[in-house]
Amino acid sequence: MTPSPEVLEAARLELGLSHGELWFRYFGLGGMSTALEVEAYLYGALTPTEHDRDVVATALNERFSELGGDHPVPCSDDENAS
Amino acid sequence: MSAHHEDQISFDIAVTWSSDRVVVAVSGEVDMLTAPALAGALHPFADGGPREVVLDAANLSFMDAAGLGVIAATGARLRGSGLTFAVRSPLPMVLRLLDLTHLGGYVETDTAQEETAGLGSEQRTGDRSGATRSASAVRPGPGGMPTEHMRASSDVVVAALRLVTALARKTVAGADGVSVSLTRQGRLSTVAASDETIAQMDRDQYATGQGPCVSAAAEGRWFHVESLAEESRWPQFIPRAREGGIGSILSTPLLVATRPVGALNIYSNSERAFGREGQELAALFATQASGILAEAGLDPSADATAAAMQAALQARAVIAQAQGVVMARQGVSADSAFATLRLAAAQAGVPVLHRASEIVASSQREGLIGEVRP
Repeated sequence: MTPSPEVLEAARLELGLSHGELWFRYFGLGGMSTALEVEAYLYGALTPTEHDRDVVATALNERFSELGGDHPVPCSDDENAS
Repeated sequence: MSAHHEDQISFDIAVTWSSDRVVVAVSGEVDMLTAPALAGALHPFADGGPREVVLDAANLSFMDAAGLGVIAATGARLRGSGLTFAVRSPLPMVLRLLDLTHLGGYVETDTAQEETAGLGSEQRTGDRSGATRSASAVRPGPGGMPTEHMRASSDVVVAALRLVTALARKTVAGADGVSVSLTRQGRLSTVAASDETIAQMDRDQYATGQGPCVSAAAEGRWFHVESLAEESRWPQFIPRAREGGIGSILSTPLLVATRPVGALNIYSNSERAFGREGQELAALFATQASGILAEAGLDPSADATAAAMQAALQARAVIAQAQGVVMARQGVSADSAFATLRLAAAQAGVPVLHRASEIVASSQREGLIGEVRP
């Protein structure tokens, strides 16, 4: 399942991460897009590659983990994720 | 941009009155050719007319800096006269442009949208005053957005700053050229300039270490050279600028968290070109440029940013190295290698960086890759 921009943005808001903080996490995971591009992905103004979207999802999921949670944001290859 | 658009560019304006509100619905493309017509349609409502003006952008398919300039100018004028001004239902691309230029505050919030959703038929005024091009029938915009063009841009921040300089040049009376200078690694450089002459004026200031741009960026306050002929400050730079035909300069600092990080520079070929209004507009555009930098988290002078950036860069290096190991072992692409790391990390319940470090360490033990030394 591929997460929509709304899913990513909702997760960001739930975590209380600023766009800048999310971008730093994304960048730390090897993401190559600029901060404004990542922000635009979440607004649906730009369409990321599948890989980019997965890196954003991973950045969000790792923050959920740090807070003791699960990995609620689906990546492109987990159709069976609940 | 597809060529087949050229002969059938649609642009139309429909104005609908209801009690004290006026809705100006624009469709098609707003650019340098059509923006004056839009400005004209929005102009009559200064005072004595409606209390609320809505620019319905639902059928707008494209808008450039000229259209943004109309929105900025109309919004400032109407709100200055105590009227309400709002932009309704912009496309994501247009919304993004409005956000980037800090005009997002003009976007209408949800409440009023339903009541007009039922307004199927609009009274067309036939206002096609800007129709140097054919005014074809109103059709819903193509809806698609040029994401590929935006994606191709290597630096969206610089693109946004260029937009600000274009807007400032169009909006500030007397402006013949505009540039944005930023301090990077302790040195000023021009990231956006309206033309080469202006970029050269900036370079002359960096080279001599003198000039209103250098001073504004260093001291965090604005500098106004009303007349280069009479200016006694910056004796090394001013003669060069006069040779370049410059008559007056207005440099406004860009501030991120109260710290100066650069300057917005407006140049005019005339002496005393900038009045109070020009100075206020310059401050407005400088605020927009500062906002773009702050939101992008790109304060180039912040130490905390530098430390976090270093940590992020180290993490990237480890992940990239682990990706390389996985690529070599499994013969897959870099993206697939990242997916492998991500899935392995999720299974083990650890961060990707942690799993990547383990892979790098095990490969070093196996002698597959050498130890990385700084």
